[in-house]
Amino acid sequence: MKKNRKAQIRMSETIAVLFIFFILVVFSLIFYYKYSEVSFKEEQAELMGLRAMDTTLKTLFLPELICSQGKAEPIDNCFDLMKLRHAAEEGVFNKYLSEYYFDLFPYTKITIEQLYPGEGESWVLYDKEKTKQLDDGLMVPDWKNKESTYFVVSLRDELNPDNEYSFGVLTVEVYG
Amino acid sequence: MKRGQMEMIGLVVIVILITLGMLFMAQFALKDDPTKKIFVRKGLAYSTMGALMKTSVACDDRGDDFGEKFVRMTELMKDCAEYYGEPSGYMCDNKQSCEFLQELIGDLLTDTLGTWQKHYEFKSSLLGFGDSSETLIEFSDEDEKGCKDERDTSGLFPINSDAGLIENILYLCD
Repeated sequence: MKKNRKAQIRMSETIAVLFIFFILVVFSLIFYYKYSEVSFKEEQAELMGLRAMDTTLKTLFLPELICSQGKAEPIDNCFDLMKLRHAAEEGVFNKYLSEYYFDLFPYTKITIEQLYPGEGESWVLYDKEKTKQLDDGLMVPDWKNKESTYFVVSLRDELNPDNEYSFGVLTVEVYG
Repeated sequence: MKRGQMEMIGLVVIVILITLGMLFMAQFALKDDPTKKIFVRKGLAYSTMGALMKTSVACDDRGDDFGEKFVRMTELMKDCAEYYGEPSGYMCDNKQSCEFLQELIGDLLTDTLGTWQKHYEFKSSLLGFGDSSETLIEFSDEDEKGCKDERDTSGLFPINSDAGLIENILYLCD
């Protein structure tokens, strides 16, 4: 009888240890799951940031916009206002979207704003939002995150050689 | 299995679990900042400084070519250094060149870097002969936090003037 009781105590001791062990395992699994979820989101945000940065760099070096100087090296971080106005007014980027620009900037919005001098004139060069069509034919946005990257640029106006350079901002918004 | 052996195994399991936990925590703590952030910050500091220096401003020339004309920021910096503490050669918006530059640079940086929640410090100094140096323009973000620890720089943007070498620098941090 005494031996049986001792065995019972040992059994309940083992069960308690196993119970605590499994609780620890469950906590670890929950913790690991949460950590994976957060790191996945972080990685996604980082990838979107990289895409936004790539798009910014591609835009900065677009021959369609950059301040060229004949055969000499083009000017860094500078857009030619004459090219810019033409591209924005004629909608060049949207006109050749499927042929060329969509491969360069998938689901992106590119805006350039003149901050000084002037009243903050701005040009939307490219805007391709990720959308989906509902059953009733209505188009709705199909993106969850938007990553914006800003860059300060010079804007050169060759039509106004006295007031040649103005201060502007390039904004690239990437939809993900 | 003897009781002593079982206790040893239990201890080993605990040590392994603690080690795994520590490794896991170390992974969190030693995670590097993404290089993208640093690259973007450096590029942004450089481009901001480049754009600032190139920008043209409408000013009244009080020298030989009397009248209103557009001058680049670099030209105004030279004027500020050459006439520091005296009536300047250019008057912009009815202000002396140094005062005007201080305001304009402050406004432009606040409208851009400030709006994007970046901290920054802009400094323009005139290097005289020997070790002497005079601060011409100094500006930091609105909450005066500036950049003391981890920061990126635009690099020096030197301008040669009759008064000496003007060094312009912009520090940028998150």
